[in-house]
Amino acid sequence: MVDVSSTVMDLPRRDARDKLRGRTRYTNDRARPDTLHAVLLRSTVPAGRITRLDVSAALECPGVHAIVTGADAPGLHGIGIADHPLFATDTIRYHGEPIACIAAETEAEAKAALAAIVLDVEPLNPVLTMAEALAPGAPLIHEDWRAYEVLTEGGARDGNIAWEAKSVRGDVDAAFARSDVTIVESSIAVGRQSHVPFEPRVAIGSWENGRAHIETSTQVPWTVRNVTGRVLQLPPGRVRVTVPPVGGGFGLKFDATIEPITALLARMTGRSVILENSRQEEMATCLCRENAEIRIRSAVTAEGEIVGREAVVLMDCGAYGGEQVFLTTMTSHTLGGSYRLGAVRLVSRAVYTNTPPNGAFRACNGVYNSFALERHTDEICAAIGMDPIEFRKRNVLGNGDLGPTGQVFEGDVLGPMLERMDTLRANTGTLEHAADGRLYGRATALGTWFIFVGPSAATINLNADGSATLVTSGVEIGSGTMMQSLPQIVAGQLGLHPDQIVVREADTDAAGLDAGIGGGRTTVSIGAASVGAAAEVREKLLRTAGEMLQTAPKDLVLRDGRVEISGRPGSGAAISTVVAHAQATTGPISGTGSFTAKNTPAMAGCAMGHFIDALDIPVFVVHEAEVAVDPDTGHVDVLAYRVVQDVGRALNPRAIMGQIQGGVVQGLGYALHEEVTITGDGRIAQDGFETYRVPLAQDVVPVVADLYEGAPSMGPLGTKGAGEVPILAVGSAIACAVSNAIGKPVYRLPLTPPRVLRLIHDIEPRPDYPHIAPNWTDNTLR
Amino acid sequence: MTVTLRINGSACRFHGDPMTPLVDVLRRERFLTGTKAVCREGFCGACTVEVDGEAVMSCLRPIGLLDGATVKSIEALAPGDTALHPLQAAFEAADVVQCGMCFPGMVMSLAPFLRENPDAGRNEIKAAMVGNICRCTGYERIVDAVMNFLDSQKMEQANG
Repeated sequence: MVDVSSTVMDLPRRDARDKLRGRTRYTNDRARPDTLHAVLLRSTVPAGRITRLDVSAALECPGVHAIVTGADAPGLHGIGIADHPLFATDTIRYHGEPIACIAAETEAEAKAALAAIVLDVEPLNPVLTMAEALAPGAPLIHEDWRAYEVLTEGGARDGNIAWEAKSVRGDVDAAFARSDVTIVESSIAVGRQSHVPFEPRVAIGSWENGRAHIETSTQVPWTVRNVTGRVLQLPPGRVRVTVPPVGGGFGLKFDATIEPITALLARMTGRSVILENSRQEEMATCLCRENAEIRIRSAVTAEGEIVGREAVVLMDCGAYGGEQVFLTTMTSHTLGGSYRLGAVRLVSRAVYTNTPPNGAFRACNGVYNSFALERHTDEICAAIGMDPIEFRKRNVLGNGDLGPTGQVFEGDVLGPMLERMDTLRANTGTLEHAADGRLYGRATALGTWFIFVGPSAATINLNADGSATLVTSGVEIGSGTMMQSLPQIVAGQLGLHPDQIVVREADTDAAGLDAGIGGGRTTVSIGAASVGAAAEVREKLLRTAGEMLQTAPKDLVLRDGRVEISGRPGSGAAISTVVAHAQATTGPISGTGSFTAKNTPAMAGCAMGHFIDALDIPVFVVHEAEVAVDPDTGHVDVLAYRVVQDVGRALNPRAIMGQIQGGVVQGLGYALHEEVTITGDGRIAQDGFETYRVPLAQDVVPVVADLYEGAPSMGPLGTKGAGEVPILAVGSAIACAVSNAIGKPVYRLPLTPPRVLRLIHDIEPRPDYPHIAPNWTDNTLR
Repeated sequence: MTVTLRINGSACRFHGDPMTPLVDVLRRERFLTGTKAVCREGFCGACTVEVDGEAVMSCLRPIGLLDGATVKSIEALAPGDTALHPLQAAFEAADVVQCGMCFPGMVMSLAPFLRENPDAGRNEIKAAMVGNICRCTGYERIVDAVMNFLDSQKMEQANG
């Protein structure tokens, strides 16, 4: 039996010292004097046709070694559908799209040679908004969309609709036709959010023994390997990806982007090549959390029962489908989750536009779907005259309740978490007095998200000094899972101290397939694979020890670096002695483990075009914000912030608290001042720190959090990922609190002072969606 | 143009464009990559170093202005196998580091501030941190760790 008490601890991070001393070498610290520097030629129009591309003069420029274009990388990649080339070839689909890449001795020489590339482009009228993209007769952003390879079956597609997913459960028309219901409709709009990891996307490519070796700042080494294979039309096994410590990801690095280019240039030059986005490039082509437009309607009885709900969600995927194709799935589980619904139908559409592609960002569309859902919930409460917290307590999903796709939820989790928030509030008190004459508002919001499971593999080698080496495709992106939870888990399984667990950083040549670091999956998926590997190691260790000690393996336990006879502390032998014996007799001790989704069933026919029909591991949050709004300036001051978070089991409570503080603050930026707008020529207007306002130290408050343990989870030791969801309900809690403070509905984020002032004075235009049909069915492809 | 200066105790001669920012000299010529070039516009503070005892954003300091200057980068704060600077130790003890890329700059700007302002409170510390952006941590735990550091400095003074 494994003693969990030896796994749970506030283990400090082993990488902190080197990071604090400036010794940690991130990918962009690894250029050597002989490394070539690559620079991209990017499009300066949002839509166009390339009529001439001639790089011959640029090749003659001083220091230039090689230039690659789309002709060198014909393959397409993508999620769900392969629609994305490495370089624009004939068609330009967004401002900033790569067209060619130059490798030269120095960055300055590569930049100078850009001017010598001859590029003629016939500009086309860009489609910059989803309304334009969905208009009858709109230009097709992908004229050949029908010809694209479909990588995942099931989604409906049509022209500028890259992907459509829907879920339908029960008779929604009948619910809305009931005479005893109030019908509430809300329209919501959000802009993009930029990740701003301190290390931009960067890769160093080399060509070694006929294979590509890419060292890169990524969350998904296996995706980089496979995408590089696709676009270079190489067997993916001829690509090796290794990952140094990553200087922040937040989801931006959950897809392959510029990495394959370095492999191409390395093959052509025989030299290592570094390609690093400048800060301006990084922000101008950021795979942002997408802008979205939502209309949601509910039919609710006077007692507060939600008998029917329908919604249309439009997600801007930008020029290429990317992660938004997958994320159409998550609309059902977030917008249709959290509450018991009689009948429900939801459609989400990823829509192409001539804007920079969007991507994954910490809790992704869960963040704005929660904002829409919680503001809508407060509007329902206002319409039927019920206290918002009381309404939530009555309606949150509990044990045995059906989710939007007919999934049966296990356990009462949100209900008790709401009670815990009451307790937390009673303990901290509230801060009305701190509003000091400004408008005070408080709100409680909740949210449902999921732990992204999928494949992970782990190998553990037990060493003769009693240490163990854990080999996985895991990456340390900053959240600490590779430094804390994984060594804690393995040490707990093997009776070692976490310091004795060596954690190998990702190398696709050394470890098996992994879906990547994101979606709160590392502790769960790599952790579970590691537990499997540890079980094999333990079994071999105990078998050898049993022979040495003349004791049945079932009577042996692993504790404090020893194999002991159960109930006799200090008996038996040191693990190192047993390992040395095994190495001399049966061979070195190692074990492997693997993990993937369990594919929880949904109700037949409920989910269409979904990548995940049901959530294997749902995860819940309850957030509460107190704000003061200055009625003269519109400035929102966050007075207090409280969180109750479903963590399954907290392996390292202090580290989780750090994730909660950091995630909530990223959410405050999203809610209040991080604003991305698209210019008339299709650029992201905020492409630097001067124009994109991330939270600073004076903007934040200490977040008070209560970790809710014990909800069901298939994660090892009952864990759920804790790093992704702290951002989930911040937009909703702040928006609902501001709405309560000013006594006006809030439909848009971020709540910048000008917007809040307009709301106060009733001059903020309400979202109006002529491109969303009143009849839900007319918003779906048949 | 030739510029002579001291970097982390060693004499250094730079030949080249006097407009080259100090951060590039540190990173590209001296391989002192602990100094991070994150925004290159003076907003984020990740490239902060000490120049003649003063915290300076090295992305905004052309090398041509530094003839005869003494530069100290993060690598010199606790060199070799020596113990961490007490502020670094406070950050380690409080488990505040995440991706870690802002911390060299955070340490290099806070260390001189705290030397000058040993009685700073939370608000003063936060004000001093406006030039250092952190995208991971949400700041508060960094401030907690700084308060711990100041408390222990005061205890040491009282005892010693």
